[in-house]
Amino acid sequence: MIELLIHQWKEKIRSPFWQKSVILNIVLGILGLYLLLNFVMIGYFADVILKKVFVNADVVESFARILFYYFAFDLIIRFFVQQVPTLSIQPYLTLPIKKAKLLHYPLIKSIPDFINIVALLLILPFFVKVVCVTKTPLFCLAWIMTVFSLVAINNYLNFSLKKYFSKRPFLILLVLVIVGLLIYLDISKTLSVSYYFSTSFLDIAETPILVILPIMIAATSYYLGYYLLKKNSYIEDKQTNQRVNAGSFSFLTRYGEIGNLMRTEIKMILRNKRPKSLLFISLIFFAYGFLFYQDKNLNNYLILIFIGFFLTSIFAVQYGQFSFSWESSFFDCYLANKISPFSYMKSKFMLFALTSTIGFLVTLPYALISYKIAYINAAMLIYNIGISSVMILAFSTYNTTRIDLGRSQFMNYQGTGVTQFLSVIPVAGFPAIIYLVFKHFGVPQYSIYALALLGSLGIVFNTFLLKMVTRQFLKRKYKMALGFRQI
Amino acid sequence: MIQINNLKKAYGKRIVLSIDDLTINKSELVGLVGNNGAGKTTMLSLILDLIEPSKGSVQSKNQFVSKSDDWKSYTGSYLNEGFLIPFLTPMEFFEFIGKLHGLNNADIKSFLNDNGPFYADDITAKKYIRELSSGNKNKVGILAALLPAPEILILDEPFANLDPSSQSWLKSKLKKLNDEGVTILISSHDLKHVTDICDRILLIEHGIIVKDKITNAETLDELENYFNTASKAL
Repeated sequence: MIELLIHQWKEKIRSPFWQKSVILNIVLGILGLYLLLNFVMIGYFADVILKKVFVNADVVESFARILFYYFAFDLIIRFFVQQVPTLSIQPYLTLPIKKAKLLHYPLIKSIPDFINIVALLLILPFFVKVVCVTKTPLFCLAWIMTVFSLVAINNYLNFSLKKYFSKRPFLILLVLVIVGLLIYLDISKTLSVSYYFSTSFLDIAETPILVILPIMIAATSYYLGYYLLKKNSYIEDKQTNQRVNAGSFSFLTRYGEIGNLMRTEIKMILRNKRPKSLLFISLIFFAYGFLFYQDKNLNNYLILIFIGFFLTSIFAVQYGQFSFSWESSFFDCYLANKISPFSYMKSKFMLFALTSTIGFLVTLPYALISYKIAYINAAMLIYNIGISSVMILAFSTYNTTRIDLGRSQFMNYQGTGVTQFLSVIPVAGFPAIIYLVFKHFGVPQYSIYALALLGSLGIVFNTFLLKMVTRQFLKRKYKMALGFRQI
Repeated sequence: MIQINNLKKAYGKRIVLSIDDLTINKSELVGLVGNNGAGKTTMLSLILDLIEPSKGSVQSKNQFVSKSDDWKSYTGSYLNEGFLIPFLTPMEFFEFIGKLHGLNNADIKSFLNDNGPFYADDITAKKYIRELSSGNKNKVGILAALLPAPEILILDEPFANLDPSSQSWLKSKLKKLNDEGVTILISSHDLKHVTDICDRILLIEHGIIVKDKITNAETLDELENYFNTASKAL
């Protein structure tokens, strides 16, 4: 078992992700620490916050009610974020190691997961500060055991959900709907689930023998995970005979080489997990308009410009910053085949322009809130097509890290490098600078025209700009290809 | 057809390939043999401009491969899985490659019919390339390289992972293409296959071409002796 953990550790530290930039690692490390510290703080001051919200209630009781929400959301978030330690046990299956051991291993490995640590960081400070001080030791023991059990239940329940439901998406939806419904019922006070939850929680703590119950449920969820893993541990091709719609996007073939390349790229986005999840995230972001298009913001051009930029470029920026890296597993195919580098660049540009336009059209109904939104977003669309797209493309020639298409997007930083951090700054910052210049002269609204004008110029000189990017690409292609081949 | 001048590839101080002067003539069928790490794939990658030479140059039809893209229109190649697009079906992949060379779907269909024996049922099934076995991936890659009717064909270990019938089919196919005037450069670990079909054999060791021979009746014995001695030296 220890040997297996060592292998896993080696897999982690030897992954190309860590081996590229010390500075990036330090920055990520500091960010991570800061984030964790925030959780500790929230946990530590939970009693103060709770007293303000539930003025007359007992703190321990209101905390228990909050825990209901916490664990309900926790399960939902886990479902999207937590990566089930996938069976990297295949190479071990033929070795003389007991199979049961191999199956327990990924289950145990999932314990020190980020999300479990967050749960403990939130709950433990409260436990130490409030529960331990005010309650009997036996109560405390039962309380904390229940919390541990709940964390474990969520951990393994999610494990089973993902393993069992991964091919039954409707059931997943059903579970999520049920959890959501429970939360809704509670908020609407039709059925106070959180009340039942907190009373049972406190009953358990007051009658410590009952702690057996949550522990048993936790054990059951563990064995459910174990059982599902066991059932799935044979290497079999279960994905055969899936139907493939071969005629998809055939209209693009009319547009020659560029259409051919775009068609392949669209298929790449739709048929692979990571770019596909990115697409869905972008769709969710379209709803951000509701958050920001409020009366108080409607006269703030900076916010309107920024939201317009965001809505019309979200996919182009999110996806585009990893351009070429997406193609790392077949980059050599593109290099060795008869593909004109300029058409290659142009096809990517066209894809950015296309998705930006779709973003503009989808979010056009926001104009019902204020007509301003329509013309600001139109200006930002022109700007994004003319300027941002080319900038993103030019920066992405500095991508040299491989991306595995099969992994999920959530919490996945593979392929992320200093380039991405640095490239977003000018791409998103340039419109802000233009705004500030015009604001300085007291005419912020004219920055919209300036941005639209710049974008139009970018579109007029598009061929010239893309030729510059192509030259850049040709200079960088060996370095890119070399990086993309590192698995 | 292909001319290599003073070509060197080094990673840091380690020289992995060094070829002073090599010319591959039109309609030659050249076999590249050598142990793992000898530099075969490096040499093929340099010819295909996939990696940057540390020194020297490769020319195809008197044009530098790193400066002009012309060679791509008459060169078919398959080195490894990096030449395949994993999320396409084989048919979609052939369409993609075919379109780059201006072929339409009817051309592709007739090409696949002509090469029927090599084009097994598994390839026709509606599966993504990433789900195929190594042997079938290899077949898809080789077919895609043959599809645009290239004048130069470059294959890295084309016989690896192929079933016996496919191996012999591929051998006669390469021979036939060569008779039609196609210049072919293949690498292989199978000395028998190489001596069977190649006119000329390059033996490469530690990045240097140590033997450059026209194939004759004794070549197979000679090569086997060479590698036996080399294995004893280990």
